[in-house]
Amino acid sequence: MMKAIEVTDLVKNFGTITALNGVSFSIEEGEVFGLLGPNGAGKTTLIRILTTLMRPTAGKAHVMGINVEKEKAAVRKLIGVVPQAMTSDLDLTGLENMDIYARFYDMPRKEREGRIEYLLGMVGLKERSNDLVATYSGGMRRRLEIAKGLVHKPSILILDEPTIGLDPQSRHVVWELLKNSLDEDGLTILLTTHYMEEAELLCERIAIIDYGKIVAIDTLEGLKRQLPDKDIVEITVGGINATKVIEEVKTLTFVHSIIYAEGTLRISVDNGAQAIPLLVGRIEDTGGRVISVLLKQQTLEDVFIHYTGRPIREEEAKKVSFLIGAGVPQKWGR
Amino acid sequence: MIRLLAVVERDLRRFIRNPIVVLSSILMPILYLVILGNSFQGELKNLPLAVVNMDNGPYAARVIRLLQAIESGPRRIRVSEEVDQGRALDGIKEGKYKGALILPPDFSRNIIKRKEGGVGLFLDNTETIAAETIRSAIASAMTSIDVKFIPVREKGEQVIVRNIELYKKVDYDQSLIPGVVIMAIFLGTITTGAFNTVMDKFLGIEESYLLTPLTKRDIVIGLVTSGVIITTVISTLVLFFSALISGIYLWKTLSLYAFLSILLIIILTTLGLLGMMFVILGRANHPRIVGVLAGFLNVIFFFPSGAIYPVESFPRWLRVFSMVNPETYSVHALKAILFKGVSIRGIETDFIFLAIFAFSTLTIATLTYKREL
Repeated sequence: MMKAIEVTDLVKNFGTITALNGVSFSIEEGEVFGLLGPNGAGKTTLIRILTTLMRPTAGKAHVMGINVEKEKAAVRKLIGVVPQAMTSDLDLTGLENMDIYARFYDMPRKEREGRIEYLLGMVGLKERSNDLVATYSGGMRRRLEIAKGLVHKPSILILDEPTIGLDPQSRHVVWELLKNSLDEDGLTILLTTHYMEEAELLCERIAIIDYGKIVAIDTLEGLKRQLPDKDIVEITVGGINATKVIEEVKTLTFVHSIIYAEGTLRISVDNGAQAIPLLVGRIEDTGGRVISVLLKQQTLEDVFIHYTGRPIREEEAKKVSFLIGAGVPQKWGR
Repeated sequence: MIRLLAVVERDLRRFIRNPIVVLSSILMPILYLVILGNSFQGELKNLPLAVVNMDNGPYAARVIRLLQAIESGPRRIRVSEEVDQGRALDGIKEGKYKGALILPPDFSRNIIKRKEGGVGLFLDNTETIAAETIRSAIASAMTSIDVKFIPVREKGEQVIVRNIELYKKVDYDQSLIPGVVIMAIFLGTITTGAFNTVMDKFLGIEESYLLTPLTKRDIVIGLVTSGVIITTVISTLVLFFSALISGIYLWKTLSLYAFLSILLIIILTTLGLLGMMFVILGRANHPRIVGVLAGFLNVIFFFPSGAIYPVESFPRWLRVFSMVNPETYSVHALKAILFKGVSIRGIETDFIFLAIFAFSTLTIATLTYKREL
């Protein structure tokens, strides 16, 4: 089967700085793939190469089997991008933004009218479609960006930090929206994010990128499995013979260790969520009464720290030009 | 084509949604007319004057010598001798001369016979200041005859300069109209076209457009097209309003043919300047750069264009610059059409220069525009 995205030994240098240092990975069609990494790790450079905006120094990148360096026009038609910045024109209405953007893709009127109506309905902006974007809230503008990215029915949707700068409520709305849009036939999604929660919620596979290299790539579960520490389930029990319960629970294959203190069992297991019903069942079988259960799961944050040796950062120091000053907001900065 | 038109529509819609910008693009050049119209005084230099000496008498020779004295002294005029009146007048029409002094065959004889010594003075009164300067230079030459050469019994008043204005009277305010139109064109071209790419870059939204299948040609030609539409509408409105407030009713004085010629000049000038802005601003990413350049370019193109002061009065190096300044040709063409009723054939050079300028800047703009990051 053809890969939706295939990247081989990609290198990108900016002068003496190496932004990408031999990156290779592939994404299957229909997959939701997350690219996780601190600022300056090379995420945006990678996306810029995949979206034909930059040429790699070395290596190859293919989108739906098409070389991104050689057939830019063809690649541009296949990908939809939801950029980090809010890119819709403030002095145009939501509908006008969508219509003009669709025309950039040569969509004939009939086709785009239906598509735009459907998408604006999907992102919940139908009622406001004739209002200027300047009157929209941040969340609404972000939803409009997503609708824009999907307008030409791309095979691959690339989202660069789709919920950055949004309040938690708007963030949940966007996640809901993305999950729903995954129903689009065979849509492949590549998502970069800072937010662990976002990656955990949406992505089937995750690559962690740091210093221009992919340091880990797997499903979330797969990544967690490679961690030395496991999930911890804390169960507070009443009316039991502790020794007997521990003996019984220990026989379960997924249990690594048990500590008992002050009426609480602290059990280290492979997969906490799956283990809880089995653990509770076993304790109740031995006559114990479960009072409360607390699951302390390994998060992607733990995975991230494990691979990169540092917690994910929101911001890094930016370079400011001596000649032109701070001037340009580098919203897409490397 | 769908793509290119979408670029055009995006720009037009955004422009129209900013009524303040639209309004000030029209009002500001007209304000220039009022301010410039009252702020420029002073003496000019090197105004080309044709002298046709049909009289071989001593007084004609003296007048010419005196004019030559002014030429080498205060340098207000530059004297060239023409053999006949027809050629001198053609010279004015072509812009070669600002005026022509005709010394009739009976000039010396009339003075000797104590009759009125009349000379004909043809002035290019579309350039009021230049015409005034020539008039006073000649008057002083005539007075000198009185003082130094004419015997006491011959009174100075006997020499009368008869003003013969070649064209319908053009007052100073009116003579500034072409300059005001050029100013409107300049303002239009710096706030449309390449300015869009600068703002998109500044706002960080340019990438979302580069990600689409839009080609270089779509972007450059699309933005230039919308820029031409906006600028042409604004400059035409400025032309009509500034003419109106200085007392010209263009719908009465201008034939359809002349109007279309003006429109063509405006469009060619706009294309050239839009192309030039694209070449200069194609890689700029901060609106402040546009602000600084707008002030600078406006001055260095506007003042040497001949819109206010005649090009001939500039020092040599500035004259050379004004020869490659597109605004010089636009001003010349607009003056010729508006005030002299010159047909297309009289301003061929202007058309050719503006067309070549527009073609080259647009070509360079399209070639050098960076479609990638």
